[in-house]
Parts: sequence; structure tokens; C-alpha cells
Amino acid sequence: MSTVWERIGARGDVSARRARTYGLIFLGVGLLIFLLFARGATADQATTFVLTPSGESQALPVPDLSVPSLTVLYGFALVCVFVGGWQLARGFRRVNLALGGVAVLFVLAFLTWAARDRSMNLTGLLSSALLRSVPIALAGLSGVLCERCAVINIAIEGMMLTGAFIAALMGSVAANIWEWPSWAALLFGLASALAAGALLGLLLAVLAVRFKVDQIIAGTAINILAVGITSFLSARILAEFQYLNNPGIFPRFSIPLLSKIPIIGPVFFEQNGLVYALFVLLIVTHVMLFYTRWGLRTRAVGEHPRAADTLGINVFRTRYINVTLGGMVAGLGGAFLVLGSVGRFDELMTAGKGFIGLAAMIFGKWMPFGAFGAALIFGFADALQTKLAILEVPIASQFLLMAPYLVTMVVLAGVVGEAVPPAADGQPYEKQ
Amino acid sequence: MRKWLIATVGLMVLATLLAACVPKPTPEAFKAGMVTDVGGIDDKSFNATSWHGMELAEEELGVEVAYLESQQQTDYAVNITQFVDQGYDMIVTVGFLLGEDTATFAQQNPETKFAIVDFAYDPPIENVLGLTFATDEAAFLAGYLAAGMTQTGKVGTFGGIEIPPVTIFMVGFQAGVEYYNEQHGTDVEVLGMDLFVGNFESTDDGRRAGEDLIAEGADIIMPVAGPVGLGTAAAVMEHPGTMLIGVDTDWCISAEEYCSVTLTSVLKNMDVAVRDAIAMAVEGTFEGGTYVGTLANNGVGIAPFHEFDDDVPAELKAELEEITQGIIDGTIDTGW
Repeated sequence: MSTVWERIGARGDVSARRARTYGLIFLGVGLLIFLLFARGATADQATTFVLTPSGESQALPVPDLSVPSLTVLYGFALVCVFVGGWQLARGFRRVNLALGGVAVLFVLAFLTWAARDRSMNLTGLLSSALLRSVPIALAGLSGVLCERCAVINIAIEGMMLTGAFIAALMGSVAANIWEWPSWAALLFGLASALAAGALLGLLLAVLAVRFKVDQIIAGTAINILAVGITSFLSARILAEFQYLNNPGIFPRFSIPLLSKIPIIGPVFFEQNGLVYALFVLLIVTHVMLFYTRWGLRTRAVGEHPRAADTLGINVFRTRYINVTLGGMVAGLGGAFLVLGSVGRFDELMTAGKGFIGLAAMIFGKWMPFGAFGAALIFGFADALQTKLAILEVPIASQFLLMAPYLVTMVVLAGVVGEAVPPAADGQPYEKQ
Repeated sequence: MRKWLIATVGLMVLATLLAACVPKPTPEAFKAGMVTDVGGIDDKSFNATSWHGMELAEEELGVEVAYLESQQQTDYAVNITQFVDQGYDMIVTVGFLLGEDTATFAQQNPETKFAIVDFAYDPPIENVLGLTFATDEAAFLAGYLAAGMTQTGKVGTFGGIEIPPVTIFMVGFQAGVEYYNEQHGTDVEVLGMDLFVGNFESTDDGRRAGEDLIAEGADIIMPVAGPVGLGTAAAVMEHPGTMLIGVDTDWCISAEEYCSVTLTSVLKNMDVAVRDAIAMAVEGTFEGGTYVGTLANNGVGIAPFHEFDDDVPAELKAELEEITQGIIDGTIDTGW
């Protein structure tokens, strides 16, 4: 004899307890929207969402969306309450989708309230979120490649920093000394960054696979090495000769047709080549990991290297290849910061993005698209934080800066649940 | 395994040495050491300007100078200790965040002279000279100028971390804009008074903050975040019609590649202050207390308009002259 809760839970494929908690959360969010936001707005206020990006854009022009703040807030609160009630009474089949929807409503309500009587650029917010997530996603992808074959790569930060430095230096050398055309110089800088990342990846692999050094220590050593060397060379070379720190930036280019779609177009299809490279890389890595022989072997080595070895898979070679590839992807992340964003190298410019990428990897359950999704959430929280500060929401800046991390904790504890790493993660393999 | 652990540790030590590079001290010369804040010696901002002051002291006074870079906040004490242990006569620490560590070491080493940029002690410590700057006065001028030059009616600013030496720029800037509104009956808005990126390193964050401000309509942006502002410069370069206001040094000179978008810079002449502090120590006239750089003593100011010189109306230039005088006289309040 199953209880009502168990039936509701079973419908959404979750436990009875979780089903009930979700229902209560949805109701709570509705109540919060009412208490925090709706009560702060008055009937004559309107919120304007700008739907065209600033600057030049191929997107079809869309008029600004102006909505009455109070009505919209009441509407959002009611929808949340309704969703909560439905969950408690009947239960959703796709309860995580409902949770996502409620979360989106809460954020929208927040924005509607914060921008009451003013306007805010919604397309700009989404574009900013995507761009902020790119380096994090690349770092996460680098982590996925390494940890799927059971090598913990804590050196992503250092690899990114080195990649950034090399991209700036070599790109500048090509552009300003050899006087190559800018596209060639940029590609040369990019290739050099990939090579630098690959070399550091190889170094980590040699330490971890050949010499079986503790992987955390090896990774930390590489990070410290990278900080020291790039800071030293930057002070001695880039500071002295400014033309060596001016490689240029990959130009944005619009993908025909797709970029014309309102809102989505400018966000996803009017970026520079490195952003598209991330999209391609995500798809390729996913397909490779889960639908090819290489991927199957990689995962086997990560889960049970002894079994893989017994079946004739070369564990060492697999790890060498994957960690080197992971280093290249981290190098690409560093190159993005320079060639895809600011066009110059500055000391410590990665500022912890490599480590956040590692968190994104865990958050995304060691899956390429999972890591990307997690990076998007971090990026969005960061972009939202900036937007709220510009809108002068009365919250202290220190609290706003915590937002990305708060979001992580909530989502980790609430939605993702237990994340299981590859079984052999971090263990050196000893051939018997 | 052990062998490789040792090798790894060796690598770490090597890396640290590379980053530090303290020259060996020689006994006779007056030795002055500088401890940077995070952000590096080449931040085109306060570390770089202070170091320039050290170099001036080397050239003009024959002082032996060296610097230690702080890679993180825990390095402050470590770096100060290094200079103290090597018997440096004077230690210059750069940045508000080093305030506590500097005070601790100054009290433990009464023989060594200290100067700290952007910090003042109350009550003063005998062997520490705090070098502070009334940057609000210069930022006020920049704000007035920005309000007079904006096409969109919105100007923007943001900070690195919410600490007084950063917010003083922003508050002065806003007060300048408001003063312009009062004088001209305009309605220019300042965006980003609450916006802080949370660090002084990530140039990418600077670019994003700049893009977000531009997306909300700002066309003149003053980033108060050291090298992070150079990321904003990259964003401004890609948005025609937008301009930048540099901080600390004249960005048209220190970051030439962005000169075509730099309207002006809010100058904080830390190099002169650092040089003078060392000179006093060399001459034996050093006293603990506080130095304040102002418009009146040329400790702060705004840079020439360089490529925008023809775009700034003569009338606006004359008004800026008047306001400068008003601030020096104390008839205009900068809001700090």
C-alpha cells in the first residue's frame, strides 16, 4: 500500500520526501515573490526589458518589452503557487523541469522588481552570462578529459595562465615583429597557447603516470610554477616592450540566418570564433566520450584500470593522451581570455577561473554538457550580480559577489544530489 | 617517489625565486624596498606608479631599490619580513590592504622607516608616513567633464573591491556629475556606483563589467580597478562612440594602445609622493604622520585630453579651470 506522497514521487521518479519538499519549495518561492518583490512595487510602475543588444547587430530589431511591474509580479507569484499546489496534489512527471521553471520565474521576478520604473537590457545580460561562462566551461572540459581517465588535474589554473601568457606573447610577436596579417597572428597565438597547454599537460601526465607523484601535489606545483614564471616574464618582457603584449582580439562574426533570430541570435551566434570553438568542442568531446572506442577505453581506464589493462587497453598511453588533450583545452581557455576577450596579458589574470571550472566539472557530473551547464549557471549568476549592482539594488556588493557561490551550493545540494567521480579518480596505476 | 617530491618542491622554490628576485644587498647605500599589492608591478596603475617613484629615488638620490611582488594577500607579511631581515632602511608598502601588516612590522621595527600608499594611521605611528590622496578632487573634475561630454546622458563607473581608496574615486566622480547637473539643469545619470568586480586581477571581468555598463547606455566609463580597467578598455575599443576615463596614471601614456578612446585620466601622483618620502628619509627629515596629495599641491589632477582635445568645448575647459579653483578654495564640496 503506497502513500499519496510515494505515488506523487514515483510520477516524477523521486522519493516521497523529495516530492513533498519540492512542492513546498515551489509554494515558498511564490510566497517570496509576493513578500519580497510584489509588495515593493506599486501599480503605476512599469519595467522595460530591452531586447536588442548594444552595438551593431544582425538580429532583427524587436521593440522593447514594457510590462506593468506589479501585475507581472503577482502573475509570477500565482504561477509559482499553482505549480507548488499541483506538485503537492498530483505531482509533476518532470519535476526537475518544474524546478528549473520556478527558478527562472524567481530570477525574472527579481529583475522585474529591480528594474521597476527603469529599463534593463535582457539580451545584454544573457550575452554577458554566456561570455563569462566560456573560460569556466573550457576549464571544466579540461577537467572532464583528465578525470575521465582518472587523473585529477588541479593544474588547470596554471595551464590557463600559461596559455594566456603564450597567446599574448606569440600572437604579438607574429603581429608586431613578423608583421603577419592579424588573422594569421591570432591563429599563431592560439596554436602556441594550445601547444603550451599540451606541454604542461604532458608534464602533469609524466609526473602522475610515469612517476606516480601525488596528483594534487603535482598539480599544485605546476600552478605555482605557472604563476611564478608568467609573473616574472611579464614584468621583465611584456612590461618593458609593450608591443609584445598587444596581439589583438578575434573579431566577432555573425553566423548567417541564425544570428537574425531575436534575443537568441545575438547571444549565441554573434560571438567570436573561440566561443564557437567551445560549442564544437563540447559536441565533439561528448560524442567521442560516449560513442567511440576511444571514449569507451577512456572511461574504462577511469573506472577500473586493472580490468581495462587485462583486456589489452594501454592504460598509460590512454592517460598520457587524455591529460595532454586536457592541457590543450585549458590552454584554449587561457587563449580565450587574451585573444577572445581583452587582447593583452596581465599577471594572475585567470583569477581562479580554472578552479571554478573544476567545480563546474563536479557540478556537471563529469559530463561535457553538464560542465557547460554548470558554467552557464556560474556565468549567469555573475552577470546577474553585475546587472543588479548597476540597477542599484539595495544589497551590499559583498553579498552580491557571493551570489555565484550561493547558487552553486543550493543547486549542488538541491538538484544535483550525489556526484560520483570515476571510480579510480586520482589513483596512480601500477602494472602488476 | 620521494625523489620526485623533492624535485617538485625544488620546482616550487625555483618558481618563487623567479617571481621574487631580490638583489643581494651591499652594505653602504641607503636601501629602500617596495612591497606591491596583488596585481603585479606592471599593473599600469598604483603598483607601477609607486615603483616609478622608487626608480626616481634611485636616479636622483642614489638609493638602492628593490621590490617584492605579492601574489596573494598572505604574501604581504612575508615580503615585509624579507626586507626587514635584509636590513632595508626604508620599506614602502603599496595599498590600503597592506595597512594592518605594515603597522605590525613598523611597531616591531622602530628603526626601520615605513611609507604606505593609500593608508593613514590614527593615531599616527612614529616611523610610518601614510601617503594619501584626495582623489575625490580630481575625480570630481573628471565627473564634471564626463557629464559635459556624454551623448547618451549616462556615464558609468565601477570598482575593484569596495575599499576607501577605490570608492573615493567613484564618489568624487558622481559628485562632479551631480554638480554639472545642478549648473546646467541636465539629468546625467551615473551607473555602477554599487558595482564591484571583487578583484584587481581579472581583466576579463573588467571587460564584462564594461560591456554591461555600455548595454545599459553608459558611453563614458571610469573603471577604478587597476589592471582590470584595461579589460574595460578593450570593450570600449569595440563600441564606437564610447570613451574611457583612466585612473592613477595618464593611460594615454601608460597604455598607449587605448589612447584613441581615453578622454582623460584621474591622476594620483604616487610616484612624486613616494620619491619625496624616500628623500626625507635620506636627508633625515623623515617624520611619521600623513601626507595628503591634493589639487593644490599637485598630488592629484586630471590628465590632458590628448586626442579629444579638440572635442572638449572651450567653455567646458574654462568651467573646469574655475571648478579646480573652487575646490582648492574650499567653495565646492566634492562629497567625500
